[in-house]
Amino acid sequence: MIITENITKNFGSFEALKGISFDIKQGEIVGFLGQNGAGKTTLMRILTTYLPPSSGKVLIDGIDISKNSLSVRQKIGYLPETPPLYINMTVLDYLKFAADIKDVNVKRRRFQLQKVLRECQLEEVKNKTISTLSKGYKQRVGIAQAIIHEPKLLILDEPTSGLDPIQNHQVRQLIKNQQDQRTVLLSTHILSEIEQIAHRVLMIKSGRIIVDQPLDSLLKPDNDQSPPLTLEAVFMQHHSLQTSPATPELTAEPTSESTGASHE
Amino acid sequence: MSKIVAIAKKELKTYFKSPIAYIMLIVPIGLFNLIFYMIIEQNREVSLREVFRVMEFMFIFLIPILTMGLLAEEKSTGTMEFLMTAPLSNTTIVLGKYLGILIFFSILISLTLVYYGIAEYFGSPDRLTTLSGYVGIWLEGAFFIAVGLMTSSWTRNQIVAAIAAYVILFGLFFSTALTQYFSGTSKLLIEQLGTQGHLEHFAVGIITVADVTYYLSGILLCLILTRLSIENRLWQ
Repeated sequence: MIITENITKNFGSFEALKGISFDIKQGEIVGFLGQNGAGKTTLMRILTTYLPPSSGKVLIDGIDISKNSLSVRQKIGYLPETPPLYINMTVLDYLKFAADIKDVNVKRRRFQLQKVLRECQLEEVKNKTISTLSKGYKQRVGIAQAIIHEPKLLILDEPTSGLDPIQNHQVRQLIKNQQDQRTVLLSTHILSEIEQIAHRVLMIKSGRIIVDQPLDSLLKPDNDQSPPLTLEAVFMQHHSLQTSPATPELTAEPTSESTGASHE
Repeated sequence: MSKIVAIAKKELKTYFKSPIAYIMLIVPIGLFNLIFYMIIEQNREVSLREVFRVMEFMFIFLIPILTMGLLAEEKSTGTMEFLMTAPLSNTTIVLGKYLGILIFFSILISLTLVYYGIAEYFGSPDRLTTLSGYVGIWLEGAFFIAVGLMTSSWTRNQIVAAIAAYVILFGLFFSTALTQYFSGTSKLLIEQLGTQGHLEHFAVGIITVADVTYYLSGILLCLILTRLSIENRLWQ
């Protein structure tokens, strides 16, 4: 579904990505991990064609993004870290607009709208103005716009950032339900979330992929007698950090990551 | 084409959901009414020529306020990422935005048609002159909107976008005042660049290919530069 070959991205003299290569197969849910500023958002923006890479090649479902970006965008659903919402619109108007610009067939439009409203549990707020909704609802509206055109690939940048535990659970469940329908690339700081949802982990550090492994094998201890590793321990190990409560950025509570591409 | 219309519809819908749309309709129309009354009272002339001049001057102030958020707001709120990762070409985004605000401007202009009705009721205004005046003011507004859209694509800050539009529009409006300091080709060039002379022809009932070309090429140039600005992410 995704093939990347030696992607680099420079912002002036700053090298944000340094030769990223990986493949993601159809139907996989891949957790994308890294510290703030490691290059996750930049890579996601390149995959969604929002930013061009400085060099390298990206194929999405066999299509080169540099040659046919509009076809690629048709296959991608994307939720940036800050949900891209027109807050003065109602949920329904916003989703209708998303359906219009994402080429949802006119005959299927009503069906698709009903489907995403049901799937994202937005039916009861569909006529409410987005600005009046809670953060959890806003996040679900963001996911609804990302899946309204039935994309083959769903890219989510910290979809549960800043949500309370119940909202977090609802959004996580929503993402989990996508696995039968599409490939999901999910970036998050909540490591337990990856443990629950993902099949595979990509870890990025200073613009390089340092881990690309199925979750099962990543968490398998060296010794059969030992208990399974936790993703947190693996993360700490790869970032040469001690597991301790004094490292808040790497615990279950996320901190917000800068959205500025120039520093990502 | 359907996506251009979808973006234009979204623009209009969100615009009319905020008070600014109503303020931008009520305030100019109120001022135009007052000025129309004063001109008629003072000149005792059933012509809209002076009204068109006042409209032109007021649009320099009003249009940057209308256009400043068109793209700058999308960037500051993050919805630009939504548009630019949807299967939309940059040209579609630019034309959709432009069409939306052009329709709003056309509504504003159409509300002033009542002046023609009043002039017709009390006298015998020259219909063709009035019509050409309206064509001229509409083209000029369309050109100003294209300038505002372009400056809105340069930055994520709406105030900066408005100030940049003011600088360009004031430059175009007052450029004729500078002609006395120039001669020959440069004088002719500055004269042609200014908006006042072109609208004046329309206001007196003369529609020339040169004047229409001036506005249309200005609009096209601004739209192309807007597209390039989006393509090259100039605001980043």
